[in-house]
Amino acid sequence: MAQPQDLLYSKEHEWVKMDGDTATIGITDYAQNSLGDIVYVELPRVGAAVEQFGNIGVVESVKAVSDLFTPIGGQVTEINGELENDPALVNREPYGGGWLFKVKLADTAQRDNLLSPGDYEKEIAE
Amino acid sequence: MTTTSTGVRRTALYDEHVRLGARMIPFGGFDMPVQYASILKEHEAVRRRAGLFDLSHMGQFVLQGENVGEWADTLTVNNVATIKPLQARYNIFTNPHGGALDDVIFYRLENRWLLVVNASNAQKMWNHVNAHLRDSGVKLTNLHGSNALIAIQGPKSVEMLAPHTGVDVANLKYYFCSEGRVYGKAAVIARTGYTGEDGFELFVDGGDAAEIWSKLLADNREAGLEPVGLGARDVLRLEAGMPLYGHEMNEEITPIQAGMNWAVKLSKPEFIGKQALQAQKDADDFRRVAGVVMAGRAPAREGYKVFHGDREAGDVRSGSTAPSVENKNIATVLVDKDAATPGTQLAVEIRGTKHDATVVALPFYKRPS
Repeated sequence: MAQPQDLLYSKEHEWVKMDGDTATIGITDYAQNSLGDIVYVELPRVGAAVEQFGNIGVVESVKAVSDLFTPIGGQVTEINGELENDPALVNREPYGGGWLFKVKLADTAQRDNLLSPGDYEKEIAE
Repeated sequence: MTTTSTGVRRTALYDEHVRLGARMIPFGGFDMPVQYASILKEHEAVRRRAGLFDLSHMGQFVLQGENVGEWADTLTVNNVATIKPLQARYNIFTNPHGGALDDVIFYRLENRWLLVVNASNAQKMWNHVNAHLRDSGVKLTNLHGSNALIAIQGPKSVEMLAPHTGVDVANLKYYFCSEGRVYGKAAVIARTGYTGEDGFELFVDGGDAAEIWSKLLADNREAGLEPVGLGARDVLRLEAGMPLYGHEMNEEITPIQAGMNWAVKLSKPEFIGKQALQAQKDADDFRRVAGVVMAGRAPAREGYKVFHGDREAGDVRSGSTAPSVENKNIATVLVDKDAATPGTQLAVEIRGTKHDATVVALPFYKRPS
């Protein structure tokens, strides 16, 4: 799957969709494929303050627990409640219904620390 | 069998796994398929139809001689000499403290025995049996890595295998075996497995393995046979309440602690570890393996602490999501006696938070009969 061109990426395989001062965050198709069947997602609470690149939760597949890092810092405004009962949504629609959480950006300059689709493509080709 | 420059060995089916797109991981000294398409899809194939497994990483020893049964009875907890020809039996080799060196299966053929040991213990067990040969007259041959082992497991195993062998597999009893041919190639066929389903294990020459494997898959693809990796195998065996060496049992955790009392024959005259196991059983104050079902969505994982009230009562030995147990999270725990009774409420500490768990009787899953 080609990387969606309207998103920014992190080296930890998260994607960010910017909408004004709010960022929607998920994991990439590459990440969900590497993890395999996702059975549990642990997200920060709504209202929590998170730091860019901080460890804010876990994504668990059948066999492994992987740390989840946030590519954007700020205040968590919403989490994807669908994942409570259907964590495999992250496998099926990593860039759509499988989004993880939304953050109100503390500082829009943070986006300069993220990767373009092309740079992320190179990152996972290595 | 070949060995790569890194020392990780390949089974006779390595090229088949790569061709099928398997994700390979080093396991027990071999490069093994952990999954092909998806662990959950492979699990479903085994429970509903059938799955094909490469178990060639497991150690296979041939035992020959008049006194194999009597000799092995001195090294293991279960009865060996009473195994009839063409019968198989689960067993555990123990150390002087009663700890488990390995859990194994003895297959008694007409003129020899097969002993199948865990891959991770194969060298240790080869050394162990050789060190205890004494004047038994038993002759040992190590087929580890040269012979292959293919398992077909699932409710459709009989109908998938029967057309390709002269052995009457439909009437082969559970934990019995036979010698014959599969696709014209010599095979020991045993009705054994590690999934909680009906099925067979095929001991074949490494040189014949790829042909048998690919023909079974091709001929049964439409009926839903799928290759299954070690990831799904671990979920299947955990649901079926079967111990995995190194998790529910090891050199410190005895067969009695692991709940394998049915296999421990303290009435045998003598075997390594018998006194220690007898004393442990009599005292009945040891930590033991129990099954728990988690109340919530967070999976319990190996090593997580288990609490009974405020008291730390043990730890998790294996844990997984369990598609055949209402999709709940299940785990085996090694806990104090008073925390091991079915119905007891426990808590598993996951990343600093306690999550409710209820002790249940094992196995978690029993196939519909």
